Amino acid sequence: MTGVRRRFGAVQAVDGVDLELFPGEIHALVGENGAGKSTLAAIAYGAVKPDDGAVTSDGVVGLVHQHFKLIERLRVWENVLLNREPRRGWAIDVAAARARVDKLAAAYGLAVDPDAVVETLPVGIKQRVELLRELDREPTVLLLDEPTAALAPSEIASFFTTISALAARGTAILVVTHKLAEVIAYSRRVTVMRAGRVVARHFTSETSADAIAREMVGGEVPALAARAATVTVPLLEVRGVSARSATSVLTDASFAVRAGEIVGIAGIEGNGQTALADALAGVVPFTGELRFAGEVLRADDSPASRLQRGIRVIPQDRRHEALVLSWNVIDNVVLGRQRALARANYADAAREVIELFDVRPPDPQAIAGALSGGNQQKIVVGRTLTAQPKLVVAYQPTRGIDIGAAALVQSRLIEARNAGAGVLLISFELDEIFACADRVLVIANGTFAGEFDRANIDRGRIGALMAGHA
Amino acid sequence: MNATLAAILAILGLTLVKATPLIYAALGGVLSERAGVVNIGLEGILIAGAFTSVVISGATGSPILGALAGVVAGMLLAAILAFAATRLGVDQIVAGTGLNIAALAAAAFGLVLVYHQPGASHEVPALGIAGERILIVSAFVAAVALQLVLARTPWGLRVRACGEDPSAAEAAGIDALRTRFWAVVIGGAIASLGGVYLSLAELDLYSDGMTAGRGFIALAAVIFGRWTPLGATGAALFFGFFAALQYSLQRAGVPSELMQALPYLAALVALAGFAGRVRAPAADGVPYVRP
Amino acid sequence: MSAVLRRPVVRDIVVVLVVVFGVGSIAMLLAHVSPLDGFGALFDGAFGTRSELAETLVQTTCLLFPALGIAIAFRAGLFNIGAEGQLILGGFAAGWLGAQFPLPGYLAIPMVLLAGALAGGVWGAIPGFLRARFGANEVIATLMLNVVAALLATYLVNGPLQQGGAGASETGTLPKAAQLPDLIADSRLTWAFVLALVIAFVLRWVLQRTVFGYELRAAGDAPEAARRAGIDLSRTAFVAMALSGALAGLGGATIVAGVLHRFNTGLSPGYGFIAIAVALVGNLDPLWIIVASFAFGVLQSGGVAMQAEAGVPRDVVSLVTGLVIIALAGRRVVAKLRST
Repeated sequence: MTGVRRRFGAVQAVDGVDLELFPGEIHALVGENGAGKSTLAAIAYGAVKPDDGAVTSDGVVGLVHQHFKLIERLRVWENVLLNREPRRGWAIDVAAARARVDKLAAAYGLAVDPDAVVETLPVGIKQRVELLRELDREPTVLLLDEPTAALAPSEIASFFTTISALAARGTAILVVTHKLAEVIAYSRRVTVMRAGRVVARHFTSETSADAIAREMVGGEVPALAARAATVTVPLLEVRGVSARSATSVLTDASFAVRAGEIVGIAGIEGNGQTALADALAGVVPFTGELRFAGEVLRADDSPASRLQRGIRVIPQDRRHEALVLSWNVIDNVVLGRQRALARANYADAAREVIELFDVRPPDPQAIAGALSGGNQQKIVVGRTLTAQPKLVVAYQPTRGIDIGAAALVQSRLIEARNAGAGVLLISFELDEIFACADRVLVIANGTFAGEFDRANIDRGRIGALMAGHA
Repeated sequence: MNATLAAILAILGLTLVKATPLIYAALGGVLSERAGVVNIGLEGILIAGAFTSVVISGATGSPILGALAGVVAGMLLAAILAFAATRLGVDQIVAGTGLNIAALAAAAFGLVLVYHQPGASHEVPALGIAGERILIVSAFVAAVALQLVLARTPWGLRVRACGEDPSAAEAAGIDALRTRFWAVVIGGAIASLGGVYLSLAELDLYSDGMTAGRGFIALAAVIFGRWTPLGATGAALFFGFFAALQYSLQRAGVPSELMQALPYLAALVALAGFAGRVRAPAADGVPYVRP
Repeated sequence: MSAVLRRPVVRDIVVVLVVVFGVGSIAMLLAHVSPLDGFGALFDGAFGTRSELAETLVQTTCLLFPALGIAIAFRAGLFNIGAEGQLILGGFAAGWLGAQFPLPGYLAIPMVLLAGALAGGVWGAIPGFLRARFGANEVIATLMLNVVAALLATYLVNGPLQQGGAGASETGTLPKAAQLPDLIADSRLTWAFVLALVIAFVLRWVLQRTVFGYELRAAGDAPEAARRAGIDLSRTAFVAMALSGALAGLGGATIVAGVLHRFNTGLSPGYGFIAIAVALVGNLDPLWIIVASFAFGVLQSGGVAMQAEAGVPRDVVSLVTGLVIIALAGRRVVAKLRST
């Protein structure tokens, strides 16, 4: 790729990038969220056309997407062979299709059941299907966008074994990631992007994770707020709670959150976190016992009643679950408190959030949809925390935002804890949990698997528990 | 022959007559929705099929040509909706509503232009008993054929993929917009046969409002039938049965308006009973816009 | 965005003009009439004389009520395609009650209007309830109920609630006290027009400045975010549909009490459907809908003259209306509610 440029609206996503991939190598492309990595991969694949610049490749290019492009209600073989189905006369040759998937799976060591319906599969297996779909096209170049986001630590190792074998066969591999440990362990070259540009290129052996991190951020990572000593008081008690939200299942969960502490729930995406967050928010029913400040919470409570008690959830998907993108900042800040606040005070509430959370541009009339992800998230977190909640459930509060905004959000959560709120931090990023939490709980397969105090954090053990090993 | 048996056979026969246009319309609706486009404009397509077939049959003297013209007209109307839904990404339900209004008005306008009288056309060469029977049987053949096409052919798989997740379909190299477009147009061709049946098989003319909301009953049949061709056909037969009962019950003193309302009330009950338990194609009604 | 008028986009206005004048001209040529004559007759018939202008305002009023109702539903994320049925039943309730129970004016008029609003409101609440309780698609429900409403009204007016003699398909004449007072003497234009304008302003205020309006808009613009913010989506859907139906029903009542002075099964030439176009052209903003109602009112009243004077069938107006709806269907893509 040479001189590639691509603009989306007001954002120059990719600004003059040159990139070369060689056969037989794993090449890592790193950068913060918003640096342009995924866009560059999409351009390399051909899904997005660059405004400027050229892309040439020697053979088929395959792309395994971060959010799988699988059709949930179809079967594995239908997804793998979509648009390339073996035929017999006018119909699809189903037996041949199944056989081809089996053969492919065996060749690459990725066992799957061709007849399974995709929506019933766990995330790790779904990724195999996504991978098989691209491998069936026999690509000479394979692009992988955040491939390990949804994998357990042990699955990550076997994933990279597969990928390394592919590279050994001569495929050129690009892994787009922000996980520096994997970059150091598995890649041969690394390219660092920041704000749409390439800022550094190295052979992996000649650099370090710290150096790459500094290049990604363009400076030092901002420090978090200090943790004050707090007196903890019982706040939330969860006993034997089970819940279900779409495909997320929580089974028999028991734990407690005290006022003045941050409890971190570490786990891989897709292990019941959404069911837990939604049950606490009052969006889905639950069985079991849930007590808040001594009072029993009912399974048929509405979200409004949870808000009234002072339980506030920062949802995982700000664009669809938290903000009204076509509205301005004021109306978004007020959302959730539109009855509690007097109309005359709406603008003041907005200004408070803008100031305390450094929302840019600092314009209450700005349309939320036009703001960057980081600023959108600041509005969501800001309106939640300025409402003085007793319990904050923060579900992936720094997802997809730049490091500066992430540090600010984490600091504010710590300050809320210092001021006496209880914080339940559900995150897929272990570093975030370790930086913020007083206690760490591990969730795997919908159940809680272990508990660690801040002083006794054991990364290896936590990783094993997350993968479902006792 | 025993009088009761004769009566039952008569009702069954009438059921088939009443159900056939519904089956054609419902099949068109199923194909369109499985690809992800809600076709509220089925009523307009029926009107187009009914009106055009009469005019051409009268002009050429050939009901077969008339029927073909009716199908072409239905395809054209469906193409308008398909274009608006795929290339322009408009709200499909609103566009379909507009299509119905425009089609009814165009047919009424056409009546004055061609026959110099509002309300109804002159009588034209019709398809006759043989033609009527062929159309009835063909409806069931079409239902089975569509079921097979959707379930077993490559094109059917692609249609289903576009209806579930057009962006994933595009990732596999399918042109989701074009697939959706053709599904709607072919669905329109099938549906228009229902209109042709109404004007050239059951009768031999076109009159203002003769489709009488059958396009909407067909939509209910699509939902009832869980978006499958055979299911929708079964639902259409069910509604046709109610329509057939209308005359007999009327003679028994039940108010005619109640009988006319029965299919609609039945559909409402179905909506309430089935809603939440049935799942439409996941991307049904959601316009796909290429990033 | 929130406090600013949702201005109709210039592009949309151009599209509407192209459709109306372009397609209209083609149709007129097909009818062997020059577009100049055809459109000339239309506009002349719409406001050539004072009484013709009054009639145009009558048509404007007939469209304004249901259009406001449809817009409220749209803003809440719902499709009310059943305004026609709600209008018919509202008109029937008004006509029947007004003729059945003669009362002095200051009681009769509110009773008649209220009856219309209630009847329409109930008819709108049914699909609202089905949506809230069963998650049933309100599009199909309102479509079905349209037909049922017309059949129900026909049945009642000719059968058990007969007032005008069997087969007359109309109720008895409203006593003078129940008839709306004229706004312009010797015309069909009554204070219903003013009432409609007032309601439009009130609705705009409610949408922009009240908590109810805020929650309704949130339910329409971002249902998942609204739910998690504590807004009761089922209740909002129910209330929005009921309110929408009430507005359409009120419209039917004003037609009966102001224009026809009786209910008649032919009281609406499809106002409930034309109102969909009106709501879209007005970009779902009550104040712009007033303007759009006037535009379509011109087409409706001018269309009569166009047929009489220039010989162009009135169906051209409906044809153009349908095409405008298709053309403007991109105005609003309603967020789909995730069903659990």
